[in-house]
Amino acid sequence: MVTTRKVHLTVNGVAHEAFVEPRMTLADFLRGELALVGTHVGCEHGVCGACTVLLDGRTVRACLMLAVQADGAELMTVEGLDEDGRLHPIQEAFLEEHGLQCGFCTPGFLLTVYELLADSPEPSDDAIMDALGGQICRCTGYQPILASVRLAAAKLRQGRAAGAA
Amino acid sequence: MAVEIPKRLEDLPTSSPRWVGREVKRIEDPELLTGRTQFIDNVVLPGMLHCAILRSPLAHARVASIDVSAAEGMPEVAAVITGEDALRWSFPAASSPEGWGSHCLATDKVRFAGEPVAAVAATSRYVAEDALELIVVDYEPLEVVADARKATESESPLLFEERGTNVMLQRVFTWGEVEEVFREADHVFTEKFRWNRVGANPIETFGVISEWNPVDGSLTCRGSYQSPSFMGLGRSASLGLPSNKVRIISQPHGGSFGGKGGGRGTDITALLSRKAGGRPVKWIEDRMEYLTAGGSQAWDRQYQASLAVEPDGRVTGLKVELLDDLGATGEGFGSISAAKPLSAFTGPYTIGVAQYDLTLVATNKLPASPYRGMGPPPHNFVLEQMMDIAARSLGIDPAEMRRRNYIQPDQFPYTIPSGNEYDSGDYEAALDKVLEMAEYRELRRQQAEAREQGRHLGIGVASTIEPGVFDWNSYAIVGMPGVGVPEGATVSFDILGKVTVRVGFSLEGQGQYTLAAQLIGDYFGLEMEDVRVVALDTQSAPPHFGPGGSRLGVALTGAILGACERIKEKLVKLAAVLLQTEPGSVELMDGALRVKGMPEAAIPLAQVVGAMLARSDLLPPDVDPRPEATFVWTAPGRTPADEEGRAKSYLTAANACHVVLVEIDAETGKVEILKYLIADDCGTRLNPATVEGMTQGGVAQGVGAALLEEYVYDPEGQLLTSTFMDYLLPTIHEVPMTEKAALVTPSPFSPLGAKGCGEGAIHAAPAAVMCAVNDALAPLGVLATEVPATPNRLWKLIQGAKSLSPGD
Repeated sequence: MVTTRKVHLTVNGVAHEAFVEPRMTLADFLRGELALVGTHVGCEHGVCGACTVLLDGRTVRACLMLAVQADGAELMTVEGLDEDGRLHPIQEAFLEEHGLQCGFCTPGFLLTVYELLADSPEPSDDAIMDALGGQICRCTGYQPILASVRLAAAKLRQGRAAGAA
Repeated sequence: MAVEIPKRLEDLPTSSPRWVGREVKRIEDPELLTGRTQFIDNVVLPGMLHCAILRSPLAHARVASIDVSAAEGMPEVAAVITGEDALRWSFPAASSPEGWGSHCLATDKVRFAGEPVAAVAATSRYVAEDALELIVVDYEPLEVVADARKATESESPLLFEERGTNVMLQRVFTWGEVEEVFREADHVFTEKFRWNRVGANPIETFGVISEWNPVDGSLTCRGSYQSPSFMGLGRSASLGLPSNKVRIISQPHGGSFGGKGGGRGTDITALLSRKAGGRPVKWIEDRMEYLTAGGSQAWDRQYQASLAVEPDGRVTGLKVELLDDLGATGEGFGSISAAKPLSAFTGPYTIGVAQYDLTLVATNKLPASPYRGMGPPPHNFVLEQMMDIAARSLGIDPAEMRRRNYIQPDQFPYTIPSGNEYDSGDYEAALDKVLEMAEYRELRRQQAEAREQGRHLGIGVASTIEPGVFDWNSYAIVGMPGVGVPEGATVSFDILGKVTVRVGFSLEGQGQYTLAAQLIGDYFGLEMEDVRVVALDTQSAPPHFGPGGSRLGVALTGAILGACERIKEKLVKLAAVLLQTEPGSVELMDGALRVKGMPEAAIPLAQVVGAMLARSDLLPPDVDPRPEATFVWTAPGRTPADEEGRAKSYLTAANACHVVLVEIDAETGKVEILKYLIADDCGTRLNPATVEGMTQGGVAQGVGAALLEEYVYDPEGQLLTSTFMDYLLPTIHEVPMTEKAALVTPSPFSPLGAKGCGEGAIHAAPAAVMCAVNDALAPLGVLATEVPATPNRLWKLIQGAKSLSPGD
């Protein structure tokens, strides 16, 4: 007899209510129940960072959390970045600097960068590297990702300056 | 009719290329960046079941009995399969060498820890894993052999008893008067090396959905397949199905690097679907499964190498003895990694004779798979350490040592002793360039200064060849038949002049769809966004292999340009009617068909295409009214291998020179990379941004192999590194940010002069890093001969040196 629990959470601004098995991971919940398949699962033990999402503004590994633990939380996944296909400046920066190849690890990187740049609009290279130290990319060798983050920071600063003017 | 493929950028029908050769943004990226690319785990089919696999905890055991009744009794379980089903419905997997394959589920015994023994299809993965816990297997343990050397001994336990030996292949290949050269050499240097198992580890593991059709006995498999048609052929053999009844659909996948695996997973889900009456069955490999039992492991090698050297540093002969541990079976085709070094055995050097003493052996470890570079990375590590050993002994600077041995630009095309022909290059120019970037003399001065302060700085200089455009003939020695690897593409215009390109492979990360759009854009004067690329399944696609062996960029360029040429022929005939002239007077240029010498007498291409599909009244009778063509490209001039394995195999030979500065912390044995510089030459760079990305990614994997990554087994064949906490992939903190320069020596033989370039950096990086490590260790009188050069290994070496040194 499978027992389920009710969870309420908000993902990318949309409220959801669902019954889930207590053992279901947050990653499986997002992907399987909410069809938000942009959150990718790379290792299922919290090392690679591909499944990183934002929970109340902070990065978490969706493979290491249970869906029931996210009850009441506000989540953001990669699907929350673009507006109807129009890329977020962080995504634009990755596109322009070739910060991805196969793209499987990319959603986790994007959300990690989102958190970093929200905290620190003008991060040093060391700060960028520290923030990305828990994300594994097997394709790019990180150099283009570093360049992407620098460009993303510049784009967001420009955007804010334009917005303030 | 023969089609002339443009060999130079200038041969494209455009006055100035807008896309090819430029750093263009990739058309693949918006979908990837928004999480909307359809990776296999995103695909859900009606009625789909989920598979979980029960795996052997022992590396060698007889399977005495399996009881699956409790699992079968679970209401959510639709099917359970064991070795009995495998015997009933399948055959041992094709293997290389031939005859070393096994069924997808153990039928009598298991040969490695992690080998599948049973599988369940249930309504969810969670339930399927619950069901595994109800399966009872009785194992009778057998003696394990996890050491390659022991496996060759007569008293060793046997993996395949019926073969009477664990040695899968033993042969000595001799190219030239090797014994004579070594007898007459002034110096002979010999050393042993150990390269431990490493492997691909794409961030997406393998995944598949198999669907059996019980009515017509056909099988459809959607999955993250690197080589769809090759995988389909293998399944046809292992499942005993006619090849046209296996339909493979390759989904976009999250990297592969040769090590995606997938054969067993596909067979197991196929059998489950069959047993479940044809319901689709999905299996997504988890990371532990990938690490212990997937396409994860490659190159488990013990080497002995000898160089014959003249007093001036000229190398006259090379001998390499390799004992390669292929693990439990030959199903992973890891053997071809031992054959590939033939395509560049003697590197960029004029070494005149060579010998390869090759032993492939089976042990109770995971069957080896290919991995990016496919075998030369360890070979180059050995060759480049030998170059430095000789240089140190003769008092020659390592850069100078290489310079004295390079093949010269006027010697191309150049045939190496192991048979392959290099197309072109200027190796000395690459060396000069990278030394200039490194400020090499200044670097040596800094090193000398640091040494006086007791610091252990080392500079590595490594020169390597990247064979490009793989050919089956290069693997003839391990039983792969055939010459030539076809790659096809279909290019179609619609009535409004937009283009669809259909290919047989899916996205993997190298930007091939972008390349297709660049080529079509420049050929027909279109915007890149006018081009859409779609992957077809194996029943619809033209002949193809897909990415692999530094081949697809060149091969796809050939296929697409061939198709473009054929479309042009048709359009020219129609345009001649429209322009009221002879076809011989019409040319395609900058997106218009025009009368030669009269640029004002021109019709836009879209108009000609539109007329072809909407003005049948204008069509000449000999024009095929489809603005579409398929072309299948194969590398020209390839030859069958002779008895010694010699063949014109890889079409192109890119070259690179890497210079690395490292510092070793003697207290901890940790290596820090302080500088990393690269000069490389892969001919025409079709999308320089992509090439640079491939290079940097290859450096990351090469640094991982040299310093971090290792699959460690205990003597009982148990893998001790089955998580990413233990198998260390390089992070942003370990991968050096490199400085790169490009030289361009176009290939005279390939489409647009491009050379295969997807694997170059991993050919060189482990060699270069280890040359630097050994340069740092040289004053201590010790040599690091085992990779990865972990802190533990280096610390022990350094401690050993200190205990030997009376002055310390």
